[in-house]
Amino acid sequence: MKWKKLGKVFDPTKYTLPNNCKEFAQSPQTLVFDDFVRIYFSTRERDESTGKFLSHIAFVDMDKHFQHVLRISTDTVIKLGELGTFDEHGIFPVNVVRHENKILAYTCGWSRRVSVSVETSTGIAYSNDNGVTFQKMGNGPVLTSSLNEPFLVGDSFVCVYENTWHMWYIYGTRWIDNNVEEAARVYKIGHATSSDGINWKKEGRQIISDVLNEDECQALPTVVRHNDKYHLYFCYREAIGFRKNKERGYRLGYAWSEDLVNWVREDAGAGIGFSEDEWDSDMQCYPHIFKCNDKIYLLYNGNEFGRYGFGIAVLEN
Amino acid sequence: MFTWKKLGRVFNPAEIEGKSWLHEFAQAPSVLVFDDFVRVYFSCRPLPDANGQYVSYSAFVDLNRKNLFEIVNIAEQPIFSLGARGTFDEFGTYPTSVIRKGNDLMAFYAGWTRCESVPFNVAIGAATSYDDGVTFKKLGSGPVLSYSVNEPFILSGPKIRRFNGKWYLFYIAGAKWIDNNGKPEPVYKLRMAVSDDGIDWNKLDKDLIESKIEENEAQASPDVFFYNNKYHLFFCYRYSLNFRGKENGYRIGYASSTDLINWTRNDSKAGIDVSADGWDSEMISYPHVFELDGTIYMFYLGNQVGRFGFGLAKLEGELL
Repeated sequence: MKWKKLGKVFDPTKYTLPNNCKEFAQSPQTLVFDDFVRIYFSTRERDESTGKFLSHIAFVDMDKHFQHVLRISTDTVIKLGELGTFDEHGIFPVNVVRHENKILAYTCGWSRRVSVSVETSTGIAYSNDNGVTFQKMGNGPVLTSSLNEPFLVGDSFVCVYENTWHMWYIYGTRWIDNNVEEAARVYKIGHATSSDGINWKKEGRQIISDVLNEDECQALPTVVRHNDKYHLYFCYREAIGFRKNKERGYRLGYAWSEDLVNWVREDAGAGIGFSEDEWDSDMQCYPHIFKCNDKIYLLYNGNEFGRYGFGIAVLEN
Repeated sequence: MFTWKKLGRVFNPAEIEGKSWLHEFAQAPSVLVFDDFVRVYFSCRPLPDANGQYVSYSAFVDLNRKNLFEIVNIAEQPIFSLGARGTFDEFGTYPTSVIRKGNDLMAFYAGWTRCESVPFNVAIGAATSYDDGVTFKKLGSGPVLSYSVNEPFILSGPKIRRFNGKWYLFYIAGAKWIDNNGKPEPVYKLRMAVSDDGIDWNKLDKDLIESKIEENEAQASPDVFFYNNKYHLFFCYRYSLNFRGKENGYRIGYASSTDLINWTRNDSKAGIDVSADGWDSEMISYPHVFELDGTIYMFYLGNQVGRFGFGLAKLEGELL
């Protein structure tokens, strides 16, 4: 794979965002329309009661050459959950799927814990207004913890291939006590299938092998079918010390498959790397691949986990 | 109406010495009958930590089958350890329900974690015993029954049963948290799931019984007992707020069914209530009904939801 970088296309600090959000446009994901592309992202409000962040979903509509911002959401796209629910303290990220004239969203809901910082699960919501707002199916998650995936289920990415719904997602394997920082999480990429997009059966295994070590954290899988192969991009990092140290921070990983079962990890074939002295020179994360005007694009975040926006690349071959 | 004759308190944790994990509380009793004794699983607590917060463990006491008021053995250790950091059962394992599976045993238990905006969340775990229920090995570090679209939190109070070749798990699921001026209180309702193997579960996805005293009535301990061609469901229920005293506290309710799906609630048949004085004078809760040598018994909790142990009642007359 070979990607041509088109640069950063959206900087959240230059716009007024809904829900009192400032900075952060994380995990951009698209819904493609005839004459524009709606790009959802997660942005942050400071929770005055605790000083912690609340992540909200917002969107920006861009022209199909990603040169112009046409519109930014002005209202709440998906409400955060009620007291005690899985998505009470944030939704980050969201994956929006158009299927048979329906538009649905798979959300990653965040709620805070005491002994660890957070727990997450995947929720589902529907839109009846072309993706401007979404209503949840219920107060609970559609995919969550299970016997061997004990916590931190999220980052769902959904595609329908040959009438089967496929979900790639992440699940936690352990929380590491350490004396460097608060308990650090480890998560891996899993896969589930469904006949209706609602009732899911987990495959129950880590589908992408580790390259760093067994505590490698793998996040935000995104899959595209191209030239009779499935291509899966994700980001990965070390479990500890990843926020400030470039060598330990997020970068993009890549794997391919011919059957959606066996995946060959081949980061060297990802075809995209850090720039020098630019917005994505220290970190690359939260990739999202989509098709638009017969081209394949890759949205992703750069330094500081997308604090200053996201950029885009186009597949060259 | 059924007629239960109270036989008195069977187990008082305050009388047990030398077990720091069994300081007080003996909650949610459930039995496993052996040839010579009846093993009663229950959940208990050590002293609270410096912040006043409890953890809970599950353990058992063995009672003489011929005289249920005679303790013949007490667990040396809790039957499972608490979960690793960040897991669903890091701060408690309560309640527990045990069933035989071939030569082994399976336990279903509720695991507790602590949250920031509400005090806790609960999901249901499973474990297997190869030594007649003295120790259990967890099936995984995560829950066997977790949250779903219409069961958003607090999956607790599991009671495992097998009827007609299928596994049935009766449990509670949270419906909402009431803010209660910053001291949130949960509302939960009786639910059920069905399985072929005890591991993969299909939720019925509806409340088993309607609420009676108020919309936010909290229901717990769905204890199902098959007798005289009917399924008898004893449970407990309380008001949503100010329930820690006599007035709004737990009482025992009753419903029956012939198909395990459609239940007719009729609390006036339950036939057991608080006593005029003593250890169960303010509330009674967590009923567990079982048959032993031709007699039908009920274990239940008294004041402060089992803080002072559990007692026994005996059915007089028929369970129809």
